[in-house]
Amino acid sequence: MKKIFTLVLLLAFALLANMSLVTADHHGWWVEAAAPYAGTTIRGVSESTPPSNYVADVLAAQFTELTGINVEFETTSWDQMYSKAINDMEANTGIYDFVYIEQDIIYSYLAQDYLVNLTQFAGDNPDLAYASYDESAFTSFADYFKNADGDLFGVPMEAFVKVYLYRKDLFEDADIMAAFEADYGYALAPAETFEQYRDNAEFFTAYGESMDMDLWGTTVQGSTGHPASTYEFLESIGPSFGLYNWGINLETGSAQSANGGALDGDTAVAALDYWVGLLPFAPPEATSSTWDEVASSFAAGRAAQGWVYGENAAWIATDDSRSAITGNVGVRLPVTAEGVIEAAEMGDGYIGYYDGGAFGIPHSSRNKEATLLWLQFIGQPSVQAEWAAAGARITHTATFDDPLIAEQDTKVDGYYTLLEEQGPLFAGAPPFPFHAQVREIIDPFIHRVILGELTAAEGLSQAAMAVDEELDRLGYGM
Amino acid sequence: MRNSRTGWLLLSPTLIILLIFGFAPFLYVLFVGFNQWNVFSAEDGLIFNGLDNFRRLVFDADFLHSVGLTARFAIFAIGSEVVLGFVLAQMLTRNFPGKSLFRIIHTLPLMVAPIAVGAIWRLLVIPGFGPVPFFLDRWFDLQYQIGTYPDQALWTSVIMDVWHWTPFVTLTMLAGLTAIPKEPVEQAKVDGASRFQVFWYVTLPFLRPVLLTTVFIRIMDAIRTVDEVWMLAGGGPGTRFTGIYIWRVVFPRTDYGYGSSISIITLYLTIVLCWLLFIAISGRRKGETE
Repeated sequence: MKKIFTLVLLLAFALLANMSLVTADHHGWWVEAAAPYAGTTIRGVSESTPPSNYVADVLAAQFTELTGINVEFETTSWDQMYSKAINDMEANTGIYDFVYIEQDIIYSYLAQDYLVNLTQFAGDNPDLAYASYDESAFTSFADYFKNADGDLFGVPMEAFVKVYLYRKDLFEDADIMAAFEADYGYALAPAETFEQYRDNAEFFTAYGESMDMDLWGTTVQGSTGHPASTYEFLESIGPSFGLYNWGINLETGSAQSANGGALDGDTAVAALDYWVGLLPFAPPEATSSTWDEVASSFAAGRAAQGWVYGENAAWIATDDSRSAITGNVGVRLPVTAEGVIEAAEMGDGYIGYYDGGAFGIPHSSRNKEATLLWLQFIGQPSVQAEWAAAGARITHTATFDDPLIAEQDTKVDGYYTLLEEQGPLFAGAPPFPFHAQVREIIDPFIHRVILGELTAAEGLSQAAMAVDEELDRLGYGM
Repeated sequence: MRNSRTGWLLLSPTLIILLIFGFAPFLYVLFVGFNQWNVFSAEDGLIFNGLDNFRRLVFDADFLHSVGLTARFAIFAIGSEVVLGFVLAQMLTRNFPGKSLFRIIHTLPLMVAPIAVGAIWRLLVIPGFGPVPFFLDRWFDLQYQIGTYPDQALWTSVIMDVWHWTPFVTLTMLAGLTAIPKEPVEQAKVDGASRFQVFWYVTLPFLRPVLLTTVFIRIMDAIRTVDEVWMLAGGGPGTRFTGIYIWRVVFPRTDYGYGSSISIITLYLTIVLCWLLFIAISGRRKGETE
């Protein structure tokens, strides 16, 4: 017995010693690899989102402490982020060493050859290749940032889906449930159909008014001065009705039904009509709301249900300092039309937007080597779980099984499980090399439909024509 | 001769800077305006397309709408600023209790950066959270939503601009009023002129150069307004002014060629407008000299 005890003790000691040696070894590798670049400052730009803010506040400091390489990370508005990054890369000024590449813009960046092939660059610089960094550890979301040869052009730093959130405290309140059933003749529940969603929205708006509460039935990301409304329509509402790829047919280079497109088709019109029809049940700020304001409104308890980007799910459900509804957040798949889920399961469509982004190195960067170290640092497994808990983003397959995430999952009503199991039903943006250009063309029409200046049919018909004209100008038309 | 050479030598740094940072970019924008150039198009680089961009903007409903909106914004904002600025300047020529404090508070908005002005006003008027819509709804049952009603967005932009820039007009008017010699005013009063006649026949002619300069500056500012209105409403309905439209074409759409042509035309319209105003206010006609 004594011998066994001594043996176990020795084994444990050896294991601990080995672990500390490995840690010391890893620490030593970073110090050694980064030595030539210590004191260098690398600069990056990104949208101010929960995952980006974690990078700015936590990971950058850790990396600097470990390597002596300074990270200046600018988190700014979405519009500014794009302007700054594109101008820098186009003019080859080299201000930024790493830029945020949102999934939907990667095709434009690759078409312009803005980005360094990270797989190749790491292969060409074996001294800079960190052993624990493994491209195959990423979820399939990383595939959006690869070329045809499977080479990676961006290290995924956030990935999430736009989900249906609802307030459990309202949906599970016995009095409210009884009132709903009395009014509508069926039980109150998180919506599974569009009709049910609308009924819920109508009911809670009336309920809020009768109780003199600041409560409305649904969020609507309906800003009339921002592309956010176009995105909600094209990437969340449209797909859930069965409108895919923005209704643009890449083969014919057209958005018009007459030429194989679908932006002015019946499905698109029905989707837009339905969505705009929800505005009377949305908080008054809806027509000024981008994704940030939608998350804030929901967190303030002003909407009973809504489509909310998953990156916000964690803080809305758990952060008392920012959310009034912690512990009461329910998470479900967004509602879909009949046959849409089945089509998604068959790979013939998708039910909503799988959003996210990566950090890439522009060719214009003057500090590519130091930046490669930084990207591997944020792409290594050991930093993933805490980052995922803070920003509701998961880019590594293994992170789903981390105990921290399992614990967080229960607080966010199974959001992470949904992301893992049903994430494949969602999809990233279509592979357009003209993403922002065409979206800018569509924006004013969606805004005018929201304002009631055009009907959904008129707005989409005019939008489809304008898109075709722009595609012609850009050289992607028929 | 030596004096002339020394003069040019002393001027040369300024001229070189102007040439590099003023004239060269203008020529570049002019050149780009005659090309099709979108970095995300299928074909790389600039493609000469003659006057196509200029022809396109004549039929561009969004551009024409932005010009109309900008004109409305400029007329109402500058008109209000001139009237208010004159009244305040008149007030400040007299003594009254708390004049120094009033002058400081009145001048404060001038010191705030436009982007901060936009942010402050956005916080004031954002539906659902801002105090202005809240109290308008509570007290007057008035639905005030700048994201939904374009006219409200436009008027809010006008009021914000008036709040920001009236102090500038007041200060220039005050400088002009204090520079008017007392004798002609007193003489007019002795001759029995009414207050309006004194203002119309004496004060206003003396004030004309200041007025002209102030209005010119404000017109140029109003036409290129972007930052504070962008902060306020994101260039939404009622606020998609020409400056914001140009920004959208050049940056998110990366349509550099078309954006350059709009910029050139906007500059041209500004110059023409200022010239017409100069003639109207100064009363100068063809052939007249100083």
